Amino acid sequence: MKLTPWKVLAAGFALILLANAVALVGVYLNRSGEADSRMTLSQRELSMPWRGAMVRENSGLALALNWRVIETGTGEYFGSGFGANGGTPDWLDESRMVALGFDTAAVAADQAERRRFERQLPREVLLVLELGGPAWQRALERTRQNVARHEAALLANADSKEFAAKAKRAQEQLKREENANSRLVASDAGLDRAALRAKYPDRGRYLIVKATLRPRTVTRDKQTRIGGYLSALAVSQINVPHALRPALEPALRSQRRTTDEPGARFEATIAFGQRLEPWIEAVAVAR
Amino acid sequence: MNTPLRSEAQRRADEIAIFQVELARLDEEGVLRLDPAQQQALREHHAALLASFAGRFDIDRDAQARQLSLGMRVASFLGALALAASVFFLFYQFWGNFDETAQVAILLGAALASLGLTVWIQTRDASGYFTKLAAMVAFACFVLNLTMLGQIFNITPTDRALLPWAALALLLAYACDLRLLLAAGICCVIAYVAARVGEWGGIYWLHFGERPENFFPVAALLFVFPQLVDHRRMSGFAAIYRIFGLLSLLLPMLVLGHWGYGSYLAHYDIEARSIEGAYELAGFVASALAIWIGARRQWPDTVNTGITFFVIFLYTKFFDWWWEIMPKYLFFLVLGLAAILILLVLKRLRRIGRGTVEGAP
Repeated sequence: MKLTPWKVLAAGFALILLANAVALVGVYLNRSGEADSRMTLSQRELSMPWRGAMVRENSGLALALNWRVIETGTGEYFGSGFGANGGTPDWLDESRMVALGFDTAAVAADQAERRRFERQLPREVLLVLELGGPAWQRALERTRQNVARHEAALLANADSKEFAAKAKRAQEQLKREENANSRLVASDAGLDRAALRAKYPDRGRYLIVKATLRPRTVTRDKQTRIGGYLSALAVSQINVPHALRPALEPALRSQRRTTDEPGARFEATIAFGQRLEPWIEAVAVAR
Repeated sequence: MNTPLRSEAQRRADEIAIFQVELARLDEEGVLRLDPAQQQALREHHAALLASFAGRFDIDRDAQARQLSLGMRVASFLGALALAASVFFLFYQFWGNFDETAQVAILLGAALASLGLTVWIQTRDASGYFTKLAAMVAFACFVLNLTMLGQIFNITPTDRALLPWAALALLLAYACDLRLLLAAGICCVIAYVAARVGEWGGIYWLHFGERPENFFPVAALLFVFPQLVDHRRMSGFAAIYRIFGLLSLLLPMLVLGHWGYGSYLAHYDIEARSIEGAYELAGFVASALAIWIGARRQWPDTVNTGITFFVIFLYTKFFDWWWEIMPKYLFFLVLGLAAILILLVLKRLRRIGRGTVEGAP
């Protein structure tokens, strides 16, 4: 078949229009009907993403979703606050890893089997993120206990600079936990969305998002257990619509986040649609 | 008669030049002498053909033109890449100033307009260089179009976006006779098929590169494709398919020859060292087969790719075996001797190939 200019033009136009139509119909389907979840997040869970040299010329504005994995066995500074966005949660055990499609057979046998388990490649799973729930409350309580422990130690060693520094650091950590750290905590994972939603029906408190899970063994106190490392969300940054930028932009660009000052105070209503893709519905900036 | 493409016209012009030189030589040596009427008819025929080609395609009619043409090809290649990058950064610089409707309209409009411009330039550009520039910009606009839709509406990244990109690149490549766009389209196809194969194995598509064996099916597909579809009119297209097919086969083999844990086989109680050994052997066999098939079918692209990988496999093996234990002068001497041996083998292979061609009925 000879490709005349008109045929090329018609085929090319059809291809471009079709590809755009498929993408936009997907957006429409995602946003139609009742949102899968809708919650109000603050500057604690939403922040400006890191902007590299190449991205500095990007005039768009997006917010990164900060979420946490609480790991109890990692000492005092467990569960990073500003959203390191990844980790090995305690609840991700062998039975869950099997249910999520990983082969865990014979892992306990020896070192070689453990390596074989860890060499399995990441899979996409549905991750449940809980806002300000029991997991975050436990993290807060642990931080308070940590402060009390260090203050008691300082009282017993009043002249020690080392104990004073530790107590100060624990206080700062508590302040961060109370005012700045994300309250969005990874609390469950699965493959069946309907089953997860039935288990966590509160759409204002539980987000279901797509994330990547990599098999991992965790060794603590000479005990090795099967686990998994939760990492990148499928959509980790949420574009700020043009209409909402005037309200949000000055607040985001004027202040820097410190221990005492967690940065611009704002709240944004985020909805996750039928395809678990998010969008920002409203923004309110605190005066 | 079909209208020839620029590449076909250039090839015919080159053949005419060679024929004229040889005819003059035969005339001098008294082997073949055309009578004046035949000479006149031949001259007129060739002159008319060349004038027609030159008018339509801006072909190179002599060696000097060919040298300049090479420079223009390099300039248009670099220009095409730079313009494509410029389109990306231009949009990034200003897109935040518009609302979502305007952003979509600009992206869609840019993709459609750049395609229209490419087709328009193609009908007027006899040289093909400006068409290449415009086609690359059109492809970049379309890639930007779908990528930015993803960012604007927070769409989950998908390998399916590679399909329309591949389709547009291949459409422009075949319509405008552009090998650069063909390579871009093939790269999209390679990524898509490898991602699909990986996903069938249960892994998240973005990690398809972590199992190099995911590239083997697309390697076979690309190598066989020019055999199934006639590409004689498209100069160099079949060679590009074969080269990318071989790269998709031999590069993963090279990687697996040194990283057995990256193989699917590592999951089945097979020692990583055994997997590496098997892939090293497979790499030698596959590159030797490529040389053999290329020599038999007279595909210089396949022969050269095969030789390159054979030498890489051989040298990496030498490095593994001897770099630590040999004095460096001896190590490099062995490399040099290996190169001489390869030259001798290839020379012999060439003689056999020539014998086969001469002996053919």
